[in-house]
Amino acid sequence: MAMKASMTRRSFVKTTALAGAAAAIGVSLSDSLVEVDPAYADEPVETKVVKTSCHGCIQMCPARATVENGVVTKLEGDPDAPVSRGSLCMKGLNQLHTMYSPRRVLHPLKRAGERGENKWEVISWDEAIEEAATHICDAIDKYGPYAFFASVGGGGSYSFMEAMTLPMAFGSPTVFEPGCAQCYLPRWSLSKLFYGGIDQSIADNAVQEIFRTGDDNKAEVVVLWGAQPSVSQTAESGRGMAELRAKGVKTIVVDPNFSPDAVKADVWLPVRPATDTGLLLAWFRYIFENKLYNEEFTKYWTNLPFLIDPDTKLPVEAKELFPDYVSPTPDNTPAYACFDARTNAVAPFPYSAPADSPVDPEVFWAGEFNGKTYKTAGQIYKEQADPWTLEHAEEVCWVPAERIEEAIKLYTGAGVAGIANGVASDMTESASQVPLGCMGLDSIMGYINKPGCTMTQYGAAGAPPTKRPVTYNNGFDGMFSDMYGIGAVVGMSPAENEARAKALGEANPQQKLANQLLIDRLGMKDHKGLYAWCHSHIPTVREAIATGEPYKPRVWFDMSGNKLAMLGNAKSWYEVFPEIDYIIGQYPMLTSFHIEAADLVFPVREWLEEPMVNMTQLNTQWLQNEVVHIGETVSHSIPAAQVIARCKEKWGGSLPGLVPGYIGNATEEEVKASVAETLHAPSWDELVNNTDTYVPYVTPPEEYWHYNQHETIVDDGLPAGFGTESRKVETYCQILIKLARTGYPFCYPEPQEACEDYSPICEFIEPAESPVNDDTDEYPFVLTSGRVPYFHHGTMRHAAFARELYPAPDVRINPRSAAELGIEHMDWVKVSSRRGEIHGRAYLTEGVHPGVVWMERFWNPECYDASVPEEKQTAGWRECNVNVLTKNDAPFNEVYGSYTNRGFTVKVEKSEKPDNIWVEPEQFAPFLPTLHSEPITKDVF
Amino acid sequence: MRNCLVIDLDRCSGCDSCIVACKLENNIDLGNYWNQVIAVGPTGTHPDIEQYWLPVQCQQCENAACVHVCPTGASYRDEKTGVVLIDKAKCIGCQYCMMACPYGVRSFNQKEKVVEKCTLCSHRTADGEGVPACVHNCCCGARLYGDLDDPSSDVAKAVAAASPDAVHHLPDPGSAKPATVYLLSPKTAAWKELV
Repeated sequence: MAMKASMTRRSFVKTTALAGAAAAIGVSLSDSLVEVDPAYADEPVETKVVKTSCHGCIQMCPARATVENGVVTKLEGDPDAPVSRGSLCMKGLNQLHTMYSPRRVLHPLKRAGERGENKWEVISWDEAIEEAATHICDAIDKYGPYAFFASVGGGGSYSFMEAMTLPMAFGSPTVFEPGCAQCYLPRWSLSKLFYGGIDQSIADNAVQEIFRTGDDNKAEVVVLWGAQPSVSQTAESGRGMAELRAKGVKTIVVDPNFSPDAVKADVWLPVRPATDTGLLLAWFRYIFENKLYNEEFTKYWTNLPFLIDPDTKLPVEAKELFPDYVSPTPDNTPAYACFDARTNAVAPFPYSAPADSPVDPEVFWAGEFNGKTYKTAGQIYKEQADPWTLEHAEEVCWVPAERIEEAIKLYTGAGVAGIANGVASDMTESASQVPLGCMGLDSIMGYINKPGCTMTQYGAAGAPPTKRPVTYNNGFDGMFSDMYGIGAVVGMSPAENEARAKALGEANPQQKLANQLLIDRLGMKDHKGLYAWCHSHIPTVREAIATGEPYKPRVWFDMSGNKLAMLGNAKSWYEVFPEIDYIIGQYPMLTSFHIEAADLVFPVREWLEEPMVNMTQLNTQWLQNEVVHIGETVSHSIPAAQVIARCKEKWGGSLPGLVPGYIGNATEEEVKASVAETLHAPSWDELVNNTDTYVPYVTPPEEYWHYNQHETIVDDGLPAGFGTESRKVETYCQILIKLARTGYPFCYPEPQEACEDYSPICEFIEPAESPVNDDTDEYPFVLTSGRVPYFHHGTMRHAAFARELYPAPDVRINPRSAAELGIEHMDWVKVSSRRGEIHGRAYLTEGVHPGVVWMERFWNPECYDASVPEEKQTAGWRECNVNVLTKNDAPFNEVYGSYTNRGFTVKVEKSEKPDNIWVEPEQFAPFLPTLHSEPITKDVF
Repeated sequence: MRNCLVIDLDRCSGCDSCIVACKLENNIDLGNYWNQVIAVGPTGTHPDIEQYWLPVQCQQCENAACVHVCPTGASYRDEKTGVVLIDKAKCIGCQYCMMACPYGVRSFNQKEKVVEKCTLCSHRTADGEGVPACVHNCCCGARLYGDLDDPSSDVAKAVAAASPDAVHHLPDPGSAKPATVYLLSPKTAAWKELV
């Protein structure tokens, strides 16, 4: 390759003459570098292959990078990886270009013009940290800690823990990310509340069991419910799905779009967008009616036989109905009540192994006891599902009845099956109801903790239990629970929780502050499920910025990509930017968001530069290596850590928030040490010098894979059960009722104000904007979205080899609908919702229902390319960005406050290509890499 | 010796990663492609539809028209590997071969004024060890490389294991005898005779 000839190697020593001219961003500052080594242009090519992991999406496939004289010239999948098996998809491969993209930000930038003008001044790191710290300190001194807020999300940045903890350090409760309630939090959090176990998401690496290799793979039927691994995580779980299907595993795909996984499915259920709850209830009804459920598991391992108090909606404990009853189990394991088929009477139902149960509980029963009418939880579910005949589901959800029946028979007829629940439902008002339904189905089928199903517990979380399982809350693995003494532990008795909170509070007086931050977090009264990740409710944050009520967030530290492409109803956010006094960003390039909003941008590393540990593939963990490093870029945790340290200095050595507060490394040395430790290497140097010794880190299979943990007898002589209040799978998710009323188990010991009760089971929700609910025919199509394999979230729109293949978003539309509108294949169309209008190209396909259109998120960095006349430049987020159309107002998902990214109504009209949008391959030449001759640089911090 | 690709369309999910793997490996210009992936379908009427993806690159024809028409011998069959290649030093850019190729898989390099096409990554494979970049990185394990005449090769084994009704070649109106094999079982979709 031509790039080799001009390679030089210099040490990076910056002069002080940098400030001043507004620099073109990606252009090397080589004039201001002092060469301390002679150039090595004539040196022979030195080639090495470095083990690393891709970070083109969150699955992080192991990869190998070829480096020639300090320049990465080739990327390949690592064939030793057990699931990806050498695969590497386009998102990973194209890092070869984006690493050296002319769009890279290599130095700290300070805004030099007005917001939106895209004019920047290069400043030193010291100046940049001083700028950020000064604005934060001033705002907090003047308005108090709640003036600060943080955010993350959007792809290509990794600061989830950092964003969560950064406001804690400043004593502010406000942080959000466009994902969270709209991506994964509902499924992740509900699985903890539902059975104290691992969730059903493939994309987030939760589902691993079905990708076991060789004879260890026991999967028979996999249901992809609103997931498309072949597109979203192409090389890892996409490859895994290809291997599964080749092996003969049957698949069912629920997706309005004929995705590649739907194409390959044995049964495809093209559900009307956002009506999945109706389809789920049809499955429940059919399974109940035809007695296809696993009776023993449902009776003894779920809470469906429990009698529910009609007043409290909670299961009745045995002692409430039988005052003299003495439970044979410890206080942390309450006895409930059921209707006993043996005695034909209401009876106490103590926790035990199924064989030891004194009762034979009815799953479905309604009747009187002591003058009050009770129903079992199963009966309540049955009645909820009762209207949902296959025919009714066909009418509402647009899926042929016989197809639904075929799918249910395949799913229930298997020895083992499992549902993998994708992101789709998170982006709708039914964000909590769909996971309740998906896990609910697997629970009544007994597809839990068995080889071959999706709800299994593995790794540390699946280790054979020795005690009654409990579930910690607040943060990942409940990390903030012990740290600050907040949050109850599910599975402890009320007395144990009280004593624990008291002791932690005495040990750490910050418990009060931590608890107050929970209470004051924006949007928490109504959407208490957000507590699980300590995040705020996004529309409420926007409202607070706009109105100052109940307090005004004023200084924003964003830790990732293009918020304008990722946030629902982007225009509503653009409108409040002027209300925000100071906005700090960090990313490897400037996006629409940075141009329109940011006052200061920290340059961060691309994945070829940043040390990290990958997400794991099965029982193996891999290194994301520091393969190269150019410019003054830093690892993602460092800017905030440095800013916090500077603020602390300014405040005379203390911070207004929680201690430890921010969790994130402050120097590359710390980053590297922590990576080395995770991979069980004595030091970073040893790790990278002898990578093969430490990578992958393999947990022996017999220590990693475990099954039927709930049946293991533990120290109280009982089967372990599950980490829930009842010690059973709570298919009737009783704790959601308590959550709504007080914030329990998250907001504890001091409670949050009550809101309307949350539904503990799957219930049908007709989308707010839909052909059924709309009172106008102005918007005749239901729009939904889903990824394409070219991009991950907001990333890679500046990757020339991706964009030449997919220059503009397809608007998938049925040919019959298109014909009525006079639209032909690849015509430009305008898509409008009640919030705005954007453009895309019509892709005519029978893969969508005539009433549905499908479109993926997009933004266009070419709109501010230097080749576009300055007066015509835009920030590239209004042209083709589906999030101009999406709906960020009520109704929200009740538990998580999720707004509506999918399943709202639009109109489609023939149109013209917007200005500035590139569609011809050659137009993308300005995105081709230019930074190959950038010197390799040392760590900044 | 028939070194070529065998592509399992039951596995291929149309992710287009092979296109990019090829372009990065072979340093191909914007707008040029040595392999492309065609979505065949969906055919039928919603929701009773089917689809497959067809990756298309040099088919390594036994009777290669491109070699026959080349006036300079630039298009040739490599004796050692049996692979059809282009000697860029001999190519005069007349593009006869592009017209002769029944599958449209050759492209003209505007900068170098020569014709190019898939070499089966000969720089990786000529020594008999490596596989093409598209095969190595394929996200579905759908692409295989090897010698169809060697029963122990990945490609020969895959063809042997496939049901006869799942073994396809691109249409061959001119008796070019394309060596490349596509595996597509009727259960996934009916094979369409695309030209």
